Amino acid sequence: MSKRNEGEGALLGTGGRRWKLIRGNLDMYLLLIPGLIFLLLFKYTPMYGIIIAFQDFNIFGGISGSEWVGTAQFERLWHSDEFLQVLINTLLISLYKITILFPIPIVIALMLNEVRRMFFKRTIQTIIYLPHFLSWVIISGLFLNILSPSGGIVNEIIRSFGGEPISFFTDNGLFRSLVVFTAGWKEIGWNAIVFIAAIAGIEQEQYEAAAIDGAGRIRQMWSISLPGMLPTIVLMFILRIGSLLEAGTEQILTMYNPLVYESGDVIGTFVYRMGLGQQDYSFSTAVGLFNSAVGFLLIVIGNMLSRKFLNRSIW
Amino acid sequence: MYRRTAKDFALDGLIYVVLVMMGLITLLPFVNVFSKSISEEWAILAGQVGIFPVGFQLDTMKFVVTNSQFLNSLWISVLITVIGTLASLLITALTAYPLSKRELPGMGIVIVLFIFTMMFNGGIIPNYLLIRELGLINNLGSLIYPALISVFNLLVIKSYFESLPTSLEESAKLEGANNFTILFRIILPLSGPVLATIGLFYAVQFWNDYFHPMLYINSSSLKPLQLYLQDIVMNADTSSALDKSADDLMNVPAEGVRSATVIASTIPILLVYPFLQKYFIKGVLIGSVKG
Repeated sequence: MSKRNEGEGALLGTGGRRWKLIRGNLDMYLLLIPGLIFLLLFKYTPMYGIIIAFQDFNIFGGISGSEWVGTAQFERLWHSDEFLQVLINTLLISLYKITILFPIPIVIALMLNEVRRMFFKRTIQTIIYLPHFLSWVIISGLFLNILSPSGGIVNEIIRSFGGEPISFFTDNGLFRSLVVFTAGWKEIGWNAIVFIAAIAGIEQEQYEAAAIDGAGRIRQMWSISLPGMLPTIVLMFILRIGSLLEAGTEQILTMYNPLVYESGDVIGTFVYRMGLGQQDYSFSTAVGLFNSAVGFLLIVIGNMLSRKFLNRSIW
Repeated sequence: MYRRTAKDFALDGLIYVVLVMMGLITLLPFVNVFSKSISEEWAILAGQVGIFPVGFQLDTMKFVVTNSQFLNSLWISVLITVIGTLASLLITALTAYPLSKRELPGMGIVIVLFIFTMMFNGGIIPNYLLIRELGLINNLGSLIYPALISVFNLLVIKSYFESLPTSLEESAKLEGANNFTILFRIILPLSGPVLATIGLFYAVQFWNDYFHPMLYINSSSLKPLQLYLQDIVMNADTSSALDKSADDLMNVPAEGVRSATVIASTIPILLVYPFLQKYFIKGVLIGSVKG
């Protein structure tokens, strides 16, 4: 494609060469067919399906037999108090997750880097990576169990100190904290991996030179390790911001119940409830489209920032 | 050599304490629920089970792992994971190979089309309607076909193929081999480690999938393990999920069953954990370096 401007003779020539390349590699294009069918059927057909957000979709009539309503679904969205609450929940949970859970893996990586006993280091890593591989169903089951007001160990401890048992999973004042804590419990160790790799990439001579200059270890962490990780930190942060509206749909679906919709219902779970629970297909597709569009915008902006400040594109 | 100061000892002390706490916070919930699963029901209900089991017994665990619903769900999960992983690996590698030849006309556009789907998708409802339209509701295909290619995995394999030296392919071409032969005889045999890593990525994804079965599977005979677990753990009423008559259920220790079900569902992942840890870290690092 870059050769398009090389003058007419060359243009003919490249055209011929392109054709020859295609003819000589027809089997390459054959290899691509299953992947292309997958892409069109399972990725782009649903995108076409988004048009039901502008309809009053009726499952029996299908897309062609449903009435067009323009942006009525979106107007409903803007005037819905329920959606406003859902949006607030999404942003709150997401922002808590970012401000609290983003820095911790960086600190963990710095700490693990200071550990000289390899056996200890490896044991801790093996333990804290484990929850990443378990599904949210298992983890919710685990926490439901230990936090149960009847016989759960946490409440037994609270009781033994004379406190009242707390029903963590049905308390609107605690549910968001529960979501943030369990998300951290599952992923903090795992999220430290990229930062550990970033520290491992820093040249050892820098530390040696600093030690000769009399810098203590805290000083070295602050002035060498941290700046050395900075590009990775910025990149991970930009990627994280890109999923601002994804507050943890699968996690919350396995944890919540009608008692905590007020504090825990987020965009993803709301789409699920409205769409498949109440069969309000068009409205929940409109919510989903709002979600995808904002997410897309955030990623594009994030990538622009990454290009500008890090000279590095995410894709 | 640098002499350790009092400050260094304090720092080390702090670091060890924090890391040990992290480890304990991760482990203790498992230990507690494991102990519950092998304790007597009265001890669980009285809140006496902490780190160690009280009134050791294995009947609850036996009841859970011999339950026919559990075994059926386990079988469904194994089936989806094995077939899904093999099919995904094959189709992802087949697609990644032509895409790794950027000089071929059209490949760049296809890559952009794939990457775009990472950032924008149809959303839950249009996907649900598609699966319905294809007649895949209550069909295990609904859990496999839409997950055959993960774009992230595709890009990792593609960049691995790009990193292989082209000289092997060129000499094979001179001897008249076509691209199919080159892929299956030369490229794939050289890609063992990356395929193992990506295979594990796919396997964990299929095994842990709970969201899609929840959307597409209603029939209890087709429920994978995660969905079965959700029914047991979330329902106060365990009877609806267990295929037992009301009389039998009088004797079922509900709290113990819940604990044992969580533990029994964790064990398969624990068994493959050493491989997971080794290959996953490699995969994550390839992904984040080459992106």
